Amino acid sequence: MAVNGESVPENEAPDDEREAGFGVLSDDELLPCGRKLSYVWEQVEAGVPDPHIESCPHCTQAVDALRHLEGIVTRTREATPREDPDTSALAGRVMDVVRLELRPGRTLPLGDEDEDTWIVEAAAARTIRAAAESLPGVRAGSCRLDPPATETAEAGETTEAAEAVAAPAGRLARGPVRVRIGVQVPLTWNLPETADLVRSRVLEAVDGELGMRIAGVDVTITDVIDDESDATDATDAIDDTGDSREGRQQ
Amino acid sequence: MPGDRGETPEEADASARREDGLLAVRAAEGDEEAFEALVHRHAPIALRLATRLLGSRPEAEDAVQESFVSAWRKLPEFRGDAQFGTWIYRIVTNRCLNVLRSRRPVVTLDALPEPQAPDHEVSPARAAEAHAAVRDLARAMEGLSPEQRVCWVLRELDGASYESIAESVGISPEAVRGRVFRARRYLTEAMAAWR
Repeated sequence: MAVNGESVPENEAPDDEREAGFGVLSDDELLPCGRKLSYVWEQVEAGVPDPHIESCPHCTQAVDALRHLEGIVTRTREATPREDPDTSALAGRVMDVVRLELRPGRTLPLGDEDEDTWIVEAAAARTIRAAAESLPGVRAGSCRLDPPATETAEAGETTEAAEAVAAPAGRLARGPVRVRIGVQVPLTWNLPETADLVRSRVLEAVDGELGMRIAGVDVTITDVIDDESDATDATDAIDDTGDSREGRQQ
Repeated sequence: MPGDRGETPEEADASARREDGLLAVRAAEGDEEAFEALVHRHAPIALRLATRLLGSRPEAEDAVQESFVSAWRKLPEFRGDAQFGTWIYRIVTNRCLNVLRSRRPVVTLDALPEPQAPDHEVSPARAAEAHAAVRDLARAMEGLSPEQRVCWVLRELDGASYESIAESVGISPEAVRGRVFRARRYLTEAMAAWR
């Protein structure tokens, strides 16, 4: 880090100024005692004791000016209300714009091959995440749904491709969809069992609520939550047969 | 009692960051409800920051609104290697910097009108003096360049480290130190002139 030595007579520049952290300040101010103003303030801010600064009238004056400013800054901070500003109207305006620019994702088939019913990925993902989160303490993150391979897909790209019904050019293929979901689970849970529980909840919801044909559900545990209050329900949840959907803790 | 978990601030912080990360992943995939939750979680601090940076609540509201809309658009590219909070405050800071830059040219100290004496000359002297000083500072801040103002506000009013300011503004910590120094020098001179 270069210090602009030209503006400071070398015999008066303190050696430790090089430690002060400033780059070249071409417009720095040189106090009559030979210290740079930037250096003096930096020492004060860092709380580094400096006998010269304490005894020098020029430095003292510079420090006093900074302290005076700091006092007003403190008052300014104190004058700011402590409670959070009300941002509900602001959030509403943000969401009004967001809802005009939704990202629904891909279009996926619902029902059997001969039907013509579809759902967008974001809507299906919402149902699937909610199903996973019906397990107490489980939080769902990423949820992607891979559509059946289309006509133009390369042969053998996915195993679902073989099952997909050939779609007319320009139309989406129909067939089973693959679900990939990432979940955070409480620390005390048995992870393979948890993955199975998530999978069965997801399958149940996809079948019962959406009526979507599924090729498989890949569950990835993205994080293990070390939080006692979330873990207390672990035993209940493992025994849970699926009828306590509102079992999430407050 | 719900919520009374005896969490340390660090645990609460880690838990908030994990929740932010989860919501950001969902929002990036098009879950607008997750994004709405993020807006509610971060708008108050973002608005407070923008109000300090711009010195105007209506302008700050606009800047924060635009920042969140921009965040929604950029979310699919948000990799999550930064915290959502850090990311949104960076967007807000840069948005405010642009607002300040688009204002009319900065006036020089000499051109600033001298602040009027406090309205209530007979009110308790100290309170009036304190009030006047706060108002004087707000006025003096108008004379800072946009870059100085942003760095100084982040440093002095938000208590941010030089390193985190450097990251937010996209310049080196040395450059931040330089800007904060110039801002301090300008403000001390302005306050001394009005004292």
